[in-house]
Amino acid sequence: MRHVLLATMRAVAVLLAAAGAARAQSGVTIALSANVNTLDPHMSATIGTDLSVLSHIYPALLLRGPDLKLQPALATAWMAESDTVWRIDLVAGARFADGEAIDADTVKWNLERVRDPKLNARIRPWFDPIASVEVISPTSLRIVTSAPYPALPDQLTMFLLLPPQWTQSHHPAAETMSGGRYAVAENIPGDRITLKANPGWWGDKPAFDQVVFRTLPEAASRIAAVKTGEVDLITGIPPSEIAGINASGRATAGAVPSGRSVFIKFNTEVKPLDNRLFRQALNYAVDKQGIADALFAGTATPSTCQLLTPDYFGYNPALQPYPYDPAKAAELLQQSGVPKGTVLQMDVPVGVYLQGQEVTQAVADQLGELGLQVKITEMDFGMYMNKYLKSRTLAQTSLLSHAWPTLDADGELSLLAGTSPYAYYHNPEYDALLAQGRSVVDPAQRRAFYAKATQVFCDDAGVLFLYTQPATFGVSRRVTWHARGDDWVRAWDIDLKK
Amino acid sequence: MRRSVGFFSALARSKSGLAGAVVLGVLVAMIALAPVLGLPDPTRGALMARLAAPSWIGVHPLGTDQLGRDMLSRILFGGRATVLIAVAAVGLGGVVGVALGIWAGFTGGMVDRVLMRLVEIQLAFPLMLLALLVVAAMGPSLQNLVLVLAATSWVRYARIIRGQVLVLKQRDFVEAAHAIGAGTWRIMRHHILPNVATPALVVATLELARVILLDAGLSFLGLGMPPPAPSWGRMLADGRVYIASAWWVVTFPGLAILLTVLGVNLLGDWLRDHFDPRIGTPS
Repeated sequence: MRHVLLATMRAVAVLLAAAGAARAQSGVTIALSANVNTLDPHMSATIGTDLSVLSHIYPALLLRGPDLKLQPALATAWMAESDTVWRIDLVAGARFADGEAIDADTVKWNLERVRDPKLNARIRPWFDPIASVEVISPTSLRIVTSAPYPALPDQLTMFLLLPPQWTQSHHPAAETMSGGRYAVAENIPGDRITLKANPGWWGDKPAFDQVVFRTLPEAASRIAAVKTGEVDLITGIPPSEIAGINASGRATAGAVPSGRSVFIKFNTEVKPLDNRLFRQALNYAVDKQGIADALFAGTATPSTCQLLTPDYFGYNPALQPYPYDPAKAAELLQQSGVPKGTVLQMDVPVGVYLQGQEVTQAVADQLGELGLQVKITEMDFGMYMNKYLKSRTLAQTSLLSHAWPTLDADGELSLLAGTSPYAYYHNPEYDALLAQGRSVVDPAQRRAFYAKATQVFCDDAGVLFLYTQPATFGVSRRVTWHARGDDWVRAWDIDLKK
Repeated sequence: MRRSVGFFSALARSKSGLAGAVVLGVLVAMIALAPVLGLPDPTRGALMARLAAPSWIGVHPLGTDQLGRDMLSRILFGGRATVLIAVAAVGLGGVVGVALGIWAGFTGGMVDRVLMRLVEIQLAFPLMLLALLVVAAMGPSLQNLVLVLAATSWVRYARIIRGQVLVLKQRDFVEAAHAIGAGTWRIMRHHILPNVATPALVVATLELARVILLDAGLSFLGLGMPPPAPSWGRMLADGRVYIASAWWVVTFPGLAILLTVLGVNLLGDWLRDHFDPRIGTPS
């Protein structure tokens, strides 16, 4: 009996060691916090899961590096020929795994697919400003936009190319044909997607032969998995767990600022949120610094009275957050004429924002101190978005965050322009400044308009400014990761430790 | 009087029954006394004191949660809500279930067939799913929770009581009541009801345990009482992220659920054996 046991243990140990060694050389495992919902790169705008996985499989014209700067990918050069014309040069000789060429026609076909109203692609709104695409040669093309669109190259970082011929006879939502670094070896929906290096890849050979994306929705299981070395990279963990992970010595964790601003959304179309003094009172009543320090262990930074972070073009460095001043808040509440004891509805989408439910309760508690009665309703994100955009019955207040992948003030600030379905906020002065910012191309002039727009929005207390959400991550002992504030998780940002 | 002395001495002789009664007694006493114990407000916390470890002699004997709220206070006040909801639901379900059970059993015929098919349909339906659907549609509130849980509860009473009534209505005293001209209503009220009170009580205790678990499940899924009101299932759900760094946030609410359900079950089992060993565990 004892012999059998020992022999078994030895065998298991050898197997484990072998498995470990094999993986150590060639593979990397990345945890996703949600399922991959579609394999069609045009039917998703979710960077953290769908597009991150698909960017390993399909080629992009441009990529955004961990430093948030644009990098060439399929496109070797891109330049504005005029305010509305972009010229893009491509790598020569690139092919999909089935031999189909990746050239200017491929790009044109994909841009047309995305803009086809019948397909109703999820990323269509960002490509609608494109008026026409002109193929100059197999390796160069011209994109003409209907109005100046300086953010187009940034937008192309979330635009992946499908093989046109193959797509005619296959279902891209469920099947893939690699034209990138990796090809799908196995896909177990809800559990894992295993990728193997694509031998026909036209760029530099990737560092890992195999990349596994595992779906681990629970933060606690992601933390456990990175500690045991089962996965190499995790994201979206509570900042208070970072110290514990580092102290364990079995993995390292950290946080970097993200481009995502979290705030309490006001429905200014309903009372009493149409009252500017009341909105200001709410801004003074909440201890943003306290929330950032306590709930986020100092990894979050209070928003500086704008929804832009310093990474955005158009960030206004002159603005300061509303200080935490309960006395001033009480005074403003009195001036606003809104009586104490007023009931304030607060909707919270659950499971989308890092520690969102905790933040909401902390905010509700502090607004309670001011003398308001906050009624929290939690709902899933789908139901929240329904209320927000479909039935247009957004609660008086709700927890929300905005980020814009191009890191440009126009995209982020336009979410609150009067005509936007996301706005629930109407301020002609603000709208006019945004329109002026869009009408010019000169960066200095644009900056000036956005500085004014953010100032107007700050004074008007358009939202209850909270903080910039940190991007938290953990990596196993064997790798390092170029931490980044946007949601991309990619194998080529990971390096094996020497 | 003699009956009640016999009851308590019998309880004292049963180890498991006594254990259940003691555990439950202590819990109920603590929950009932919560407002006079001078505990911190369960819905207010100091953010800077979040996730403080338990200190048996300090301000927070069981530590604080992720918003710096006192765990002991939250568990006791959460227990009040849980017990209130469970007792109200089991009571409401009991009244409806017993009434329909007597009606079905005594009247027989079409009424019986329709009601029992209804019971079977509902028993075949996953109750958690039913509760989820209803709460999601009507929105979480104390009233809705009680209604939903009662709706999942009445069928068990109805089925067992109906079986009892089928036996009872053949008995001589019922025949005799018929013979002297008592009406159906009078017989059901004065002759049948007192005789099904004991099985109804036994079902009620076992139902209580089930309903407490269901309530915890619903609040774990975010369909219980809206925050910041404390509830056990909710505390488990919110605390599970911190399981690696702050074990107390999930351990104590988990223990509270475990002990309550265990206590109710032990006591319920004993009650069943004590009153009528012939009644099997309700399905």
